[in-house]
Amino acid sequence: MKSGNDKPGIEEIDCMEAINGLYAYLDGEMKDPETLAKFEHHLEHCQSCYSRTQLETALGQLINKSAKDTAPEKLQTRLKKLIQGL
Amino acid sequence: MSDADVKTWFSQNIEGCLDSLYGLAMRLTRNGADAEDLVSESVAKAWSAIGTLDERDRFRPWLFRILHNCYISDYRKKSVRPVAYSYDDFSEEGEEDDITALLIKQSADFLTWWGNPEREFANKLLREDILSAIEKLPEAFRVAVLLVNAEGLSYDEAAEVLGVPPGTIRSRMKRGRTLLQKALWEHALEAGLVTGNEMKGYKP
Repeated sequence: MKSGNDKPGIEEIDCMEAINGLYAYLDGEMKDPETLAKFEHHLEHCQSCYSRTQLETALGQLINKSAKDTAPEKLQTRLKKLIQGL
Repeated sequence: MSDADVKTWFSQNIEGCLDSLYGLAMRLTRNGADAEDLVSESVAKAWSAIGTLDERDRFRPWLFRILHNCYISDYRKKSVRPVAYSYDDFSEEGEEDDITALLIKQSADFLTWWGNPEREFANKLLREDILSAIEKLPEAFRVAVLLVNAEGLSYDEAAEVLGVPPGTIRSRMKRGRTLLQKALWEHALEAGLVTGNEMKGYKP
Protein backbone atom coordinates (compact mmCIF):
# COMPACT_ATOMS: atom_id res chain seq x y z
CA MET A 1 0.00 0.00 0.00
CA LYS A 2 1.27 3.45 -0.88
CA SER A 3 0.44 6.26 1.46
CA GLY A 4 -1.02 9.53 0.25
CA ASN A 5 1.64 12.19 0.09
CA ASP A 6 0.62 15.51 1.53
CA LYS A 7 4.14 16.46 2.57
CA PRO A 8 6.08 17.65 -0.44
CA GLY A 9 9.67 16.52 -0.39
CA ILE A 10 9.04 13.31 1.53
CA GLU A 11 9.40 10.31 -0.70
CA GLU A 12 6.69 7.71 -0.25
CA ILE A 13 7.52 4.17 0.79
CA ASP A 14 5.29 1.12 0.51
CA CYS A 15 4.27 -1.35 3.24
CA MET A 16 7.05 -3.77 2.31
CA GLU A 17 9.66 -1.10 2.96
CA ALA A 18 7.89 0.06 6.11
CA ILE A 19 7.68 -3.42 7.64
CA ASN A 20 11.27 -4.02 6.65
CA GLY A 21 12.28 -1.00 8.73
CA LEU A 22 9.80 -1.48 11.55
CA TYR A 23 12.12 -3.13 14.04
CA ALA A 24 14.95 -0.73 13.38
CA TYR A 25 12.43 2.04 14.12
CA LEU A 26 11.19 0.38 17.33
CA ASP A 27 14.71 -0.36 18.52
CA GLY A 28 15.90 3.20 18.00
CA GLU A 29 18.19 2.10 15.17
CA MET A 30 16.60 4.16 12.40
CA LYS A 31 19.12 6.96 12.67
CA ASP A 32 19.02 8.48 9.21
CA PRO A 33 16.61 11.47 9.48
CA GLU A 34 15.39 11.05 5.93
CA THR A 35 14.59 7.35 6.40
CA LEU A 36 12.89 8.16 9.70
CA ALA A 37 10.77 10.88 8.08
CA LYS A 38 9.69 8.51 5.28
CA PHE A 39 8.79 5.80 7.77
CA GLU A 40 6.78 8.11 10.04
CA HIS A 41 5.07 9.65 7.05
CA HIS A 42 3.98 6.18 5.96
CA LEU A 43 2.63 5.43 9.45
CA GLU A 44 0.57 8.62 9.38
CA HIS A 45 -1.20 7.41 6.27
CA CYS A 46 -1.32 3.62 6.57
CA GLN A 47 -3.69 2.18 9.17
CA SER A 48 -2.34 -1.33 8.70
CA CYS A 49 1.29 -0.40 9.36
CA TYR A 50 0.29 1.97 12.15
CA SER A 51 -1.62 -0.85 13.88
CA ARG A 52 1.28 -3.20 13.32
CA THR A 53 3.61 -0.71 14.95
CA GLN A 54 1.24 -0.40 17.92
CA LEU A 55 1.11 -4.18 18.22
CA GLU A 56 4.86 -4.55 18.12
CA THR A 57 5.29 -1.74 20.63
CA ALA A 58 2.89 -3.42 23.05
CA LEU A 59 4.63 -6.76 22.62
CA GLY A 60 8.00 -5.13 23.19
CA GLN A 61 6.74 -3.54 26.40
CA LEU A 62 5.42 -6.91 27.59
CA ILE A 63 8.77 -8.58 26.90
CA ASN A 64 10.62 -5.79 28.63
CA LYS A 65 8.43 -5.97 31.71
CA SER A 66 8.32 -9.77 31.84
CA ALA A 67 12.04 -10.38 31.48
CA LYS A 68 12.91 -8.17 34.46
CA ASP A 69 14.15 -9.92 37.55
CA THR A 70 15.36 -8.75 40.91
CA ALA A 71 18.57 -10.35 42.09
CA PRO A 72 17.97 -12.29 45.32
CA GLU A 73 19.37 -10.76 48.48
CA LYS A 74 21.65 -13.74 49.06
CA LEU A 75 23.27 -13.11 45.66
CA GLN A 76 23.80 -9.46 46.55
CA THR A 77 25.45 -10.53 49.82
CA ARG A 78 27.53 -13.16 48.03
CA LEU A 79 28.80 -10.61 45.51
CA LYS A 80 29.64 -8.05 48.17
CA LYS A 81 31.80 -10.65 49.92
CA LEU A 82 33.30 -11.72 46.61
CA ILE A 83 34.25 -8.19 45.60
CA GLN A 84 35.64 -7.41 49.07
CA GLY A 85 37.91 -10.43 48.73
CA LEU A 86 39.16 -9.60 45.24
CA MET B 1 42.67 6.21 39.77
CA SER B 2 44.01 4.11 42.64
CA ASP B 3 43.32 0.37 42.90
CA ALA B 4 40.88 1.07 45.73
CA ASP B 5 39.05 3.61 43.58
CA VAL B 6 38.86 1.14 40.70
CA LYS B 7 37.41 -1.47 43.01
CA THR B 8 34.83 0.96 44.37
CA TRP B 9 33.90 1.97 40.82
CA PHE B 10 33.67 -1.69 39.80
CA SER B 11 31.52 -2.57 42.80
CA GLN B 12 29.12 0.31 42.17
CA ASN B 13 28.73 -0.62 38.51
CA ILE B 14 28.16 -4.28 39.32
CA GLU B 15 25.46 -3.21 41.76
CA GLY B 16 23.86 -1.08 39.04
CA CYS B 17 23.83 -3.99 36.57
CA LEU B 18 22.98 -6.76 39.00
CA ASP B 19 19.26 -7.18 38.28
CA SER B 20 19.96 -7.19 34.54
CA LEU B 21 22.80 -9.69 34.94
CA TYR B 22 20.67 -11.96 37.06
CA GLY B 23 17.74 -11.64 34.65
CA LEU B 24 19.84 -12.62 31.67
CA ALA B 25 21.44 -15.46 33.63
CA MET B 26 17.97 -16.71 34.60
CA ARG B 27 16.75 -16.65 31.02
CA LEU B 28 19.88 -18.52 29.91
CA THR B 29 20.13 -21.16 32.63
CA ARG B 30 16.46 -21.22 33.69
CA ASN B 31 17.63 -22.21 37.12
CA GLY B 32 18.03 -19.89 40.11
CA ALA B 33 21.07 -21.61 41.61
CA ASP B 34 22.87 -21.81 38.26
CA ALA B 35 21.99 -18.19 37.52
CA GLU B 36 23.52 -17.07 40.81
CA ASP B 37 26.66 -19.12 40.18
CA LEU B 38 26.90 -17.77 36.64
CA VAL B 39 26.63 -14.17 37.83
CA SER B 40 29.22 -14.72 40.56
CA GLU B 41 31.65 -16.39 38.18
CA SER B 42 31.14 -13.61 35.64
CA VAL B 43 31.80 -10.90 38.22
CA ALA B 44 35.02 -12.62 39.32
CA LYS B 45 36.13 -12.95 35.68
CA ALA B 46 35.19 -9.35 34.97
CA TRP B 47 37.39 -8.13 37.81
CA SER B 48 40.33 -10.18 36.62
CA ALA B 49 39.83 -8.75 33.10
CA ILE B 50 39.15 -5.17 34.17
CA GLY B 51 42.32 -4.03 32.42
CA THR B 52 40.78 -5.00 29.06
CA LEU B 53 37.89 -2.58 29.47
CA ASP B 54 38.96 0.27 27.21
CA GLU B 55 35.93 2.52 27.53
CA ARG B 56 34.23 2.71 30.89
CA ASP B 57 30.89 3.70 29.42
CA ARG B 58 30.90 0.32 27.65
CA PHE B 59 30.92 -1.49 31.00
CA ARG B 60 27.45 -2.99 30.57
CA PRO B 61 27.94 -4.68 27.16
CA TRP B 62 31.44 -5.72 28.23
CA LEU B 63 30.02 -7.39 31.35
CA PHE B 64 27.17 -9.04 29.43
CA ARG B 65 29.73 -10.44 27.02
CA ILE B 66 31.70 -11.98 29.87
CA LEU B 67 28.54 -13.51 31.30
CA HIS B 68 27.51 -14.86 27.91
CA ASN B 69 30.94 -16.37 27.33
CA CYS B 70 30.88 -17.95 30.80
CA TYR B 71 27.47 -19.42 30.01
CA ILE B 72 28.67 -20.89 26.71
CA SER B 73 31.82 -22.40 28.16
CA ASP B 74 30.51 -23.66 31.50
CA TYR B 75 26.72 -23.86 31.65
CA ARG B 76 25.16 -24.45 28.26
CA LYS B 77 25.93 -28.17 28.24
CA LYS B 78 23.84 -28.83 31.32
CA SER B 79 21.04 -26.42 30.56
CA VAL B 80 17.97 -28.39 29.56
CA ARG B 81 15.15 -26.51 27.94
CA PRO B 82 12.35 -27.19 25.50
CA VAL B 83 13.10 -26.11 21.97
CA ALA B 84 9.94 -25.44 20.03
CA TYR B 85 11.57 -24.58 16.75
CA SER B 86 14.39 -26.14 14.89
CA TYR B 87 17.15 -23.70 14.14
CA ASP B 88 17.16 -25.15 10.62
CA ASP B 89 13.51 -24.24 10.14
CA PHE B 90 14.32 -20.65 10.77
CA SER B 91 17.99 -20.26 10.11
CA GLU B 92 19.84 -17.00 9.82
CA GLU B 93 20.63 -17.73 6.22
CA GLY B 94 17.21 -16.88 4.77
CA GLU B 95 16.78 -13.96 2.44
CA GLU B 96 15.78 -10.66 4.01
CA ASP B 97 12.86 -10.44 1.61
CA ASP B 98 11.54 -13.80 2.82
CA ILE B 99 11.38 -12.70 6.41
CA THR B 100 9.83 -9.37 5.47
CA ALA B 101 7.20 -11.16 3.40
CA LEU B 102 6.47 -13.38 6.39
CA LEU B 103 6.15 -10.36 8.65
CA ILE B 104 3.69 -8.74 6.27
CA LYS B 105 1.65 -11.91 5.86
CA GLN B 106 1.59 -12.47 9.59
CA SER B 107 0.56 -8.89 10.17
CA ALA B 108 -3.03 -9.03 8.90
CA ASP B 109 -4.00 -12.19 10.77
CA PHE B 110 -2.05 -11.25 13.85
CA LEU B 111 -3.73 -7.88 14.06
CA THR B 112 -7.14 -9.50 13.74
CA TRP B 113 -6.28 -11.70 16.66
CA TRP B 114 -4.60 -9.15 18.84
CA GLY B 115 -6.23 -5.96 17.86
CA ASN B 116 -9.93 -6.24 18.52
CA PRO B 117 -9.92 -4.59 20.95
CA GLU B 118 -6.20 -3.99 20.61
CA ARG B 119 -5.04 -4.79 24.10
CA GLU B 120 -7.45 -7.58 24.98
CA PHE B 121 -5.08 -10.39 24.24
CA ALA B 122 -2.10 -8.63 25.76
CA ASN B 123 -4.05 -8.17 28.96
CA LYS B 124 -4.67 -11.91 29.18
CA LEU B 125 -1.02 -12.83 28.91
CA LEU B 126 0.81 -13.47 32.15
CA ARG B 127 4.49 -12.99 32.76
CA GLU B 128 4.86 -16.78 32.69
CA ASP B 129 3.29 -16.90 29.22
CA ILE B 130 5.79 -14.41 27.88
CA LEU B 131 8.74 -16.08 29.59
CA SER B 132 7.65 -19.48 28.31
CA ALA B 133 7.52 -18.12 24.75
CA ILE B 134 10.95 -16.52 25.15
CA GLU B 135 12.40 -19.76 26.46
CA LYS B 136 11.18 -21.63 23.41
CA LEU B 137 13.21 -19.44 21.09
CA PRO B 138 16.45 -20.87 19.67
CA GLU B 139 19.27 -19.47 21.77
CA ALA B 140 20.73 -17.11 19.17
CA PHE B 141 17.39 -15.34 18.75
CA ARG B 142 16.48 -15.47 22.43
CA VAL B 143 19.67 -13.77 23.55
CA ALA B 144 19.37 -11.06 20.89
CA VAL B 145 15.76 -10.33 21.88
CA LEU B 146 16.69 -10.20 25.56
CA LEU B 147 19.69 -7.94 25.09
CA VAL B 148 17.91 -5.46 22.83
CA ASN B 149 14.32 -5.65 23.92
CA ALA B 150 14.67 -6.39 27.62
CA GLU B 151 17.99 -4.74 28.38
CA GLY B 152 17.78 -1.85 25.93
CA LEU B 153 21.17 -2.45 24.31
CA SER B 154 21.77 -0.97 20.88
CA TYR B 155 22.44 -3.33 17.98
CA ASP B 156 26.11 -2.32 18.17
CA GLU B 157 26.27 -3.16 21.87
CA ALA B 158 24.42 -6.47 21.43
CA ALA B 159 26.79 -7.29 18.57
CA GLU B 160 29.72 -6.60 20.88
CA VAL B 161 28.25 -8.92 23.53
CA LEU B 162 27.75 -11.79 21.10
CA GLY B 163 30.81 -11.17 18.93
CA VAL B 164 28.79 -10.89 15.72
CA PRO B 165 28.26 -8.05 13.21
CA PRO B 166 25.42 -5.56 13.96
CA GLY B 167 23.63 -6.77 10.81
CA THR B 168 23.35 -10.21 12.38
CA ILE B 169 21.63 -8.69 15.41
CA ARG B 170 19.20 -6.86 13.11
CA SER B 171 18.40 -10.13 11.38
CA ARG B 172 18.07 -12.07 14.64
CA MET B 173 15.72 -9.45 16.07
CA LYS B 174 13.39 -9.84 13.12
CA ARG B 175 13.40 -13.60 13.20
CA GLY B 176 13.30 -13.77 16.99
CA ARG B 177 10.27 -11.55 17.22
CA THR B 178 8.46 -13.44 14.49
CA LEU B 179 9.09 -16.75 16.27
CA LEU B 180 8.03 -15.18 19.55
CA GLN B 181 4.71 -14.16 18.04
CA LYS B 182 4.27 -17.67 16.70
CA ALA B 183 5.01 -19.14 20.13
CA LEU B 184 2.59 -16.74 21.82
CA TRP B 185 -0.14 -17.59 19.37
CA GLU B 186 0.34 -21.32 19.87
CA HIS B 187 0.39 -20.82 23.62
CA ALA B 188 -2.78 -18.74 23.43
CA LEU B 189 -4.53 -21.55 21.56
CA GLU B 190 -3.33 -24.21 24.00
CA ALA B 191 -4.32 -22.14 27.02
CA GLY B 192 -7.73 -21.27 25.56
CA LEU B 193 -7.01 -17.55 25.57
CA VAL B 194 -8.26 -17.46 21.98
CA THR B 195 -10.45 -19.93 20.10
CA GLY B 196 -8.61 -19.89 16.79
CA ASN B 197 -11.68 -18.67 14.93
CA GLU B 198 -10.25 -15.16 15.17
CA MET B 199 -7.49 -16.21 12.86
CA LYS B 200 -8.79 -18.42 10.12
CA GLY B 201 -5.98 -18.86 7.69
CA TYR B 202 -3.22 -18.06 10.20
CA LYS B 203 -0.24 -20.17 9.23
CA PRO B 204 2.80 -18.87 10.98
